[in-house]
Amino acid sequence: MLPLRGCHRRLLSLRGVTAPSLLPPITTTPTTSMAAPQSHSHPAKTLRASPPPPSTAGSAPKRSRTMATDAAATAHSASAGCSAMKAEFAKHAEYLNTLNDKRERLVKASRDLTMNSKKAIFQVHRISKNNKEEVLSKAENDLTVVVNQYIGKLVKELQGTDFWKLRRAYTFGVQEYVEAATFCRFCKTGTLLSLAEINDSLLELGDKSVEPLQINVLDYVLGVADLSGELMRLAIGRISDGEVEYAKNICAFVRDIYRELTLVVPLMDDNSEMKKKMETMLQSVVKIENACFSVHVRGSEYIPLLGSSADPDYSFFGASDFDQ
Amino acid sequence: MRPAATATAALRLRAAFLSPPPPPAASAAAASRLLPRRPTASILLLPLRRLCSVPPHAVGAAGTGSSSQPSPVMDAQFESFRAQLDESSTLRDRIRAVVSEVESASRVASAALLLVHQPVHLADVLGKAKAQVEVIKGLYSRLAEILKECPGQYYRYHGDWRSETQAVVSMLAFMHWLETGGLLMHAEAQEKLGLSSGEFGLDVEDYLTGLCFMSNDFPRYVVNRVTAGDYDCPRKVLTFLTDLHASFRMLNLRNDFLRKKFDGMKYDLRRVEEVYYDVKIRGLVPGESKQEAA
Repeated sequence: MLPLRGCHRRLLSLRGVTAPSLLPPITTTPTTSMAAPQSHSHPAKTLRASPPPPSTAGSAPKRSRTMATDAAATAHSASAGCSAMKAEFAKHAEYLNTLNDKRERLVKASRDLTMNSKKAIFQVHRISKNNKEEVLSKAENDLTVVVNQYIGKLVKELQGTDFWKLRRAYTFGVQEYVEAATFCRFCKTGTLLSLAEINDSLLELGDKSVEPLQINVLDYVLGVADLSGELMRLAIGRISDGEVEYAKNICAFVRDIYRELTLVVPLMDDNSEMKKKMETMLQSVVKIENACFSVHVRGSEYIPLLGSSADPDYSFFGASDFDQ
Repeated sequence: MRPAATATAALRLRAAFLSPPPPPAASAAAASRLLPRRPTASILLLPLRRLCSVPPHAVGAAGTGSSSQPSPVMDAQFESFRAQLDESSTLRDRIRAVVSEVESASRVASAALLLVHQPVHLADVLGKAKAQVEVIKGLYSRLAEILKECPGQYYRYHGDWRSETQAVVSMLAFMHWLETGGLLMHAEAQEKLGLSSGEFGLDVEDYLTGLCFMSNDFPRYVVNRVTAGDYDCPRKVLTFLTDLHASFRMLNLRNDFLRKKFDGMKYDLRRVEEVYYDVKIRGLVPGESKQEAA
């Protein structure tokens, strides 16, 4: 029964290829019924690559894959149970479609968020001794746009249980945003922007009807862990720009964060990702420390070239400065 | 200012380089640890160092606010994170304790259901399994109770009961089929687990994965039923599995676990078809021949 039905469909599709006209199904059925006896003897073999039936168009090798399980093919064999099953699965199909669409939208919003947060980070990296205010205020503006435009999108999607259910879809965007926001704040004030402050700033997003998005501890911590990489770049940049003190502050700051996070990592839900980040973070700390070490040890060679201060500087000559 | 102005400036910088992170109190100790290599300097340095460390802001930030000392604000924040995460892992431990009970109860039930492969009366088989279902139901209500403490976070801990729940659904659905020959619907499964009301429900994807697991039981079941002389069984199972497979094909799945499990279902279907074929070609299927010829 089922294979026969499948034959009809296959022949229909073959016909569709050879004859340009779209024949209504009824006209084809008399011819295809030729295949019926053959199919009847093999009702159980429909999923295998069974020999093609001796009908005129019976040379489609792939037919067996789809026939027995074709939704349309089985539809007419409906018992009461089957149609109930169909109704049930129609519900699930709709549920899954909605969920997948939402997930796709979140992934997209998260990518946009990542991209634009990255831009803000690059803006902060354009900092130098003289243009600090200007660069940072521009970066802050960028971040405001990011929040309103892209985090706003997340807020709309993440209602109720979606916040945790779809976390994987948006976590990277949020982490990147945390990274950008904390990075910008550090350059401005030398302090760590706290989660509470970020969440307060997100409260106004969206209208009153939707629940506000509150970044969770895990995403915040993951974002802060990423921050160390940016701070390492910044420190190296500052050192080569002669701002050695700045680099030292960064060094102390990153050390603090690293130390704090070592205590948090074992408590995190899924800490394999975080463990990896901690390794990277330690590398960043070491890089900054090595850079500080280099200027410290060979500072005498650098300072005349770059001059971190206007004063004449003898501090790198070891004990010689005491001879004066 | 006892020393010359140039010397102070130099020393101030020196002090900064010698002791970047430690707080002022510790810097003298740190410096003395570094200094023995240069005995001449140490005599001169110690008193001067004290002088330098009096105004800490002088050695501190060049524009960015000093953080040479761990900031109490930062400490407090991470402290509160630890408290929060601690709380959540305690909750998780409690969940896991209940879930492991679910796991063992569902194992007992599945083991009881394995008797369907042997010539045991169906009612007896189901009786044992049903007793376990009641136990499992009680455990799920405990789980729901725990999750009431953190509304909205069902999916935060979902991974902790996901696979166990899938196994339970598979077992329930198989039982249901044995009893009625039909599919256990999502709402019915929820009902059986006592999860119909409240926030703690049965995730649809878990339900569907459970159904895929259930289909794995059928090939063996069919083989053993035929061996036991029930020649009509393959036809029933084949109809059911074909319908189920067709229903699954209505879903747009992602490339995830469920998809993989669903892809495995066709092998069960094929195996059942083979059994049906073997039975049929030997004319063992009762009352089928005239129906088919029509």
